[in-house]
Amino acid sequence: MAANFWQSSHAEQWIFDKTELMRSRSEDYKLFTEEEYAKFHIFWANFMTSVATEGVHVPANNSRIRQQVIATAVTYFKRFYCRRSFKDMNPFLVSCTSLFLACKVEEHTPLSVSSFLKNTAQILPKKWGVPFDSSLSKNGNVYDAEFVLVEILDCCLIVYHPNRPLNQFLTDINKNVQLREFDQIEAQCHKVVNDTLRCDVGLLFPPHIIAIASLVVGTELMGRGDEIQQWLSELSVDIDKVVDCVDQIYKMYKLWRDFDEKEQVKVLLAKLPKINMMPNY
Amino acid sequence: MNKRYETIRHLGEGQFANVYMAKDTETGETVAIKKIKLGSRDEAKDGINRTAIREIKLLKEIQHENIIGLRDVIGHRTSIQLVFDFMETDLEHVVQDQKIILMPAHIKNITMQTLLGLEFLHAHWILHRDLKPNNLLMNTMGRVKLADFGLARFFGSPNRNYTHQVVTRWYRSPELLYGAKSYGVGIDIWSVGCILAELLLRLPIFPGDSDIDQLVKIFNVLGCPTTEDWPTMTSLQSYIAVKTPNEEPPELQFIFSAAGPELIELMKSMWTFDPAKRCTTTQALQMDYFKVQPYCCLDEELPHPNRQPAKRRKFEEKSEGGPGVRRLIFE
Repeated sequence: MAANFWQSSHAEQWIFDKTELMRSRSEDYKLFTEEEYAKFHIFWANFMTSVATEGVHVPANNSRIRQQVIATAVTYFKRFYCRRSFKDMNPFLVSCTSLFLACKVEEHTPLSVSSFLKNTAQILPKKWGVPFDSSLSKNGNVYDAEFVLVEILDCCLIVYHPNRPLNQFLTDINKNVQLREFDQIEAQCHKVVNDTLRCDVGLLFPPHIIAIASLVVGTELMGRGDEIQQWLSELSVDIDKVVDCVDQIYKMYKLWRDFDEKEQVKVLLAKLPKINMMPNY
Repeated sequence: MNKRYETIRHLGEGQFANVYMAKDTETGETVAIKKIKLGSRDEAKDGINRTAIREIKLLKEIQHENIIGLRDVIGHRTSIQLVFDFMETDLEHVVQDQKIILMPAHIKNITMQTLLGLEFLHAHWILHRDLKPNNLLMNTMGRVKLADFGLARFFGSPNRNYTHQVVTRWYRSPELLYGAKSYGVGIDIWSVGCILAELLLRLPIFPGDSDIDQLVKIFNVLGCPTTEDWPTMTSLQSYIAVKTPNEEPPELQFIFSAAGPELIELMKSMWTFDPAKRCTTTQALQMDYFKVQPYCCLDEELPHPNRQPAKRRKFEEKSEGGPGVRRLIFE
């Protein structure tokens, strides 16, 4: 929303290259294989989306939490585990706290910590067959974790999402290339952008690259990739990065398709190190 | 507090924070440390205070010489401390210090520094929403910086409604007083106009004691807006037609007898009723006022209150009006 991405903390501190990212996760790669780890992150994004949108306990004015809030929260979660490992702080706590903080940062209707926790308690067993750890259910833990989260994030709370550049690109395409059923393309591309939260592209590429990659993937999934080729070729953008990003999105989709959440989440959760609720510091 | 910073003394207590003066042992500089209160269990229901969150998230992204700098953030298990540039005084103290004489060149400098900071904010799509003399800080070098971003937020998203309960009433623009839910940079510009007037008069120009009274005070000086001046006025949520006693308001020139025509022109454009026609910061900075003599003084030439800061307005009112009056009646 702010004018200049290139001078933002997002651009300066939170875009990594692949080796950096691997290194920052070295602690967790001792417990999980790379594939398991990627699947685990798919689960966390799904889990956070469910807590935010499906629970019975919704904000006071009955509106569901907007996608932007979810996207910010998932980004906080991912950034947190770039700096810390699963053994430092319980990911359930971090995910709830991320949502709680994102609601405030994005100026969303306040949602009480208790509703998050109640939603979690309800959704976890229902969707993933995982019992809810009752030691989590203290509101105070989330308040304490919030301070830790803000600090680990180094106070960088503003996240730039690909949705805005995507809208600009779509408008531009619509002006220059006449596409039939444009609204379907629009919906598909936005869906892809939302799905990119399930892989690491948000930590590797600036939002406009992700937006272009989502356009490519979105139109290809509809079998209409050719129609934007002309428009793409006229863009002045680092095309290698776009290709790399497209690859990663496809990889994520493949992984997600083969990911039997009901069965595998339990296994993954069992591998989590046993830790105290309170963050180690 | 922290190894790097040595607390010197407690400076004051705000709504959600305590502020301390401290020394940065690494650089030797004096800094201000804002320690966010966790408060009672009841207050902590929403976790970290929203105003603190706004301040952190915005100041982390913006650096400008006329905007207070967030130097560091210290996390300490269950509290967060924000380290800011240390500023010795603020414009409220300057305005109230009777020993200070504000020359036209001083006022021009202060106005320009304020507008430059605000221009930068607006270019980043941020509204300050609480501009007042008390939030314009000044250091001994005469640098003026915008501070207190507890109400600031992004603007420009279509279809998002914002609360009109922002900005301290005396500096609140007519569209806010009429309950506008979508507004823009105009609300900050209006406040700057009020601050400029206060520098000239050494008193607040529109000291309303209720929202209606605020409108009356404004209209007494500027006249009532017509639908011609401001076509969308009547569609605002709490629009009411206000009748003021003086049909013919005095010329601004009469109120600000010391101000030149260029300054009057600047104030008029900052106080244009229709927010769509009100000047922007960039337009204001290009107006003749800044091009004619006397030019801005140097920052370090700005006067500075050197005695103990005067008591806040509110306390003075209380001590004069409250017990004193009662004693008169009983005796």
